Amino acid sequence: MVQIFQLPMFLPIPPLVCRHGPAGKIGVRRNMKSKFRDNLIGYLFISPWLIGFLVFTLYPFCQSFYLSFTRYNIIQPPKFIGLANYKMMFFDDPLFWASLGVTIKYALVAVPLVLVVGIGLALLLNVNIKGIAIFRTIFYLPSIVPMVATTSIFIWILSPQVGLVNQILAIFHIQGPIWLKDPHWTLWSLVFMAIWGAGGSMVIYLAGLKDIPQYLYEAATLDGASAIKKTQMITLPMLSPVIFFNLVMGVINTFQYFTQAFMISDGTGGPSNSTLFYALYMFQRSWKYLDMGYGSAMAWVLFIIIVAITTVIFRSQKRWVHYGR
Amino acid sequence: MDVEQGSGIGDQISGQNSVGRTISRVFLAIFLVCLGYGLITARAPSQTTTNRTKVIFWHRWSGYWEDVVKRIVGKFNASQTDYEVVPLFVTGAGSDTKFMLSTLGGDPPDVMSMGSDSLPSIASGGLLTDLETLMTPAEREYFHRVPYAAVRESGQFDGKTYGITIGADLMGYYVNCAQLREIGVDPDKPPKTFEELVALGERLTRRDKEGHIVRLGLSVDDLATQAIAWGGGFYDPKKGDLTINTPENLACLTALTAQKEKVGYKDAQRFWSSQNNGSSTGAWSFIPGGVSITYDGQWRVDEIHRAKPDMDYRIWPIIPPAGGKPLAGLMGGNFMIIPTSSKQKKGAFEFLKFWSGVTHPERAAESFVAGGWIPLSPDVANAPAYQKFLKENPQFQTFIDILAGPNCQSKPRIGYLQYYLDQITNTQEASFSNEKTPAVALKDLEQTVNTERRKRKELGFDDK
Repeated sequence: MVQIFQLPMFLPIPPLVCRHGPAGKIGVRRNMKSKFRDNLIGYLFISPWLIGFLVFTLYPFCQSFYLSFTRYNIIQPPKFIGLANYKMMFFDDPLFWASLGVTIKYALVAVPLVLVVGIGLALLLNVNIKGIAIFRTIFYLPSIVPMVATTSIFIWILSPQVGLVNQILAIFHIQGPIWLKDPHWTLWSLVFMAIWGAGGSMVIYLAGLKDIPQYLYEAATLDGASAIKKTQMITLPMLSPVIFFNLVMGVINTFQYFTQAFMISDGTGGPSNSTLFYALYMFQRSWKYLDMGYGSAMAWVLFIIIVAITTVIFRSQKRWVHYGR
Repeated sequence: MDVEQGSGIGDQISGQNSVGRTISRVFLAIFLVCLGYGLITARAPSQTTTNRTKVIFWHRWSGYWEDVVKRIVGKFNASQTDYEVVPLFVTGAGSDTKFMLSTLGGDPPDVMSMGSDSLPSIASGGLLTDLETLMTPAEREYFHRVPYAAVRESGQFDGKTYGITIGADLMGYYVNCAQLREIGVDPDKPPKTFEELVALGERLTRRDKEGHIVRLGLSVDDLATQAIAWGGGFYDPKKGDLTINTPENLACLTALTAQKEKVGYKDAQRFWSSQNNGSSTGAWSFIPGGVSITYDGQWRVDEIHRAKPDMDYRIWPIIPPAGGKPLAGLMGGNFMIIPTSSKQKKGAFEFLKFWSGVTHPERAAESFVAGGWIPLSPDVANAPAYQKFLKENPQFQTFIDILAGPNCQSKPRIGYLQYYLDQITNTQEASFSNEKTPAVALKDLEQTVNTERRKRKELGFDDK
């Protein structure tokens, strides 16, 4: 029996008729009609995504670039003002720098920490003991809880007087800080919240660990390598593509950090602008203060920052990422 | 060579095409059914029960308050032969954005209850109707003569009236009488100065053996409003300009910060974090006695009435410092607006008049009483229904006194009001938490706001 490879229907099917002479022309036309019909069905199937992408991603993306050179309060038509938004942003807006500072500070702390915790958890959960699947599920669960729910829970956990964390500290006669109300502690509270969700990356690390060939460890054991040496010389290098992926994603997500900051500060970025993350300030400017032109300029600066950092990380991968080649 | 018919590649592809066509037809059929169903059901809620013209009303009240709104709307509809108002709740967060997008999209509400803080920026964009253009000369004359000045001015921008109150807000001190009597203080004799109030608050505060506050004697903030009692304020309505780093504002911020220091800012924050201070009925820490004297809005009167009707409490106006201004107030709250692109401006304005009392104040009084709201005018306040309400809730009289007093102001009528108010709150916070001294905090505020003003001017924003 002849097995026919299933072609995606929207791919053009090679014509089976002769391309020369009048008869060929008719054949080609008929075939093109048929091809169009076949392709049309395919495009119809992917049209929901295609339309969504064009209308809700590509168009706003291009439009925001134009808007960044305009004064636009959403209500009146945008008016071209050249580079004024960018000039104001860099030279006349202390909150722009404050928000960028908060975001970078958070990124510098949270991204490496979540990375380390994720790898640590994956290493711990990579052992073959009874009930390991339950442990893996437990550690993974927080990452599938909606962000809004997680933040609501953390607002209570970090409540200074009745919260779980300060109650535990009180057992050791330590008076815990007022966490989300103290500008010195808000960032750490958010880092704490980020670590809570490290289970998401842990699963990816775990998959990476499972992919490391066992014979490498066996060879190292024969050579008398210690567990630390094996981790240092085999596990981490072999896991480096996964670490690289999580690092890139972590940086991108951190620069778009919004929901948690919005919730714990009621959208204000307080106390004392300590949770005024870049994305939150961008939102305030765009929708609260009705300065969409400025918000768009901020979005493009954010885009450039993310692209720049990602490029640096990509360039650095030659030095530390091993693809087993 | 015999070739089995129908087994060729072409036939198989043709067979697949036939399957593809069938699937696509099924999908198309499902799509059309869904589309038809959507169109039918989308029309259903907006259908009126009569032939009257439909007026779409967006409001931001949910839960108990939504029922109040529905009752008012029901009364209006019952009084009408021409219009029928269809109320629609939109969540408070983002309601302005929804309004703007609906307007830009060509499907705005005909009338909407909007927060006063958003009004100037939206009005400056030309989205709101000047309500005076819908008034008759007699109504216009009445509107400029009778309503409380602060209420009227709060709905204005650039000399035009874009909003009329249907539920304005004022603030005062809620006082737990039983707790004051415990320490031998008569709740009917409020402290004469802010300093006395702070001392009273100290006496009322209770702590456990570890020093945690278990009852807060006095809770006070709101620099923007309190500063008026110090003879200052952040806007000069006569000059139409901002007043930020003034000696009066500095004195107010210093006094408020000193009060926080006395209680212990962090201790108070700890205490508040253990309280359920939600805005819903019964979820307010004043009612169970968590706070003895607390600063809050007039809407709490109705909440107390429903949650603990027998509660013995008083409402004091803002207590000024020695030599300060009594009965200080800063008007905010809900204002009814009509978009410029409203399709039923006349019907919308009829509804607005019905609720607010631009005409028929006696009838409008019933609406204000239904929600326990600040009235538009003395005519509404003196109407029998409102007087009956005041008799049942004598504490509410304090807000009427503030409203009628000379020190009740409207919020700055500037295009960047929201930004300005946010920065004032940040300044207060920075001072309370000792991050900055009051003097530095105010100086920084002035600098930040001036930078923003200059920036907006350079960018060509029409802020007035």
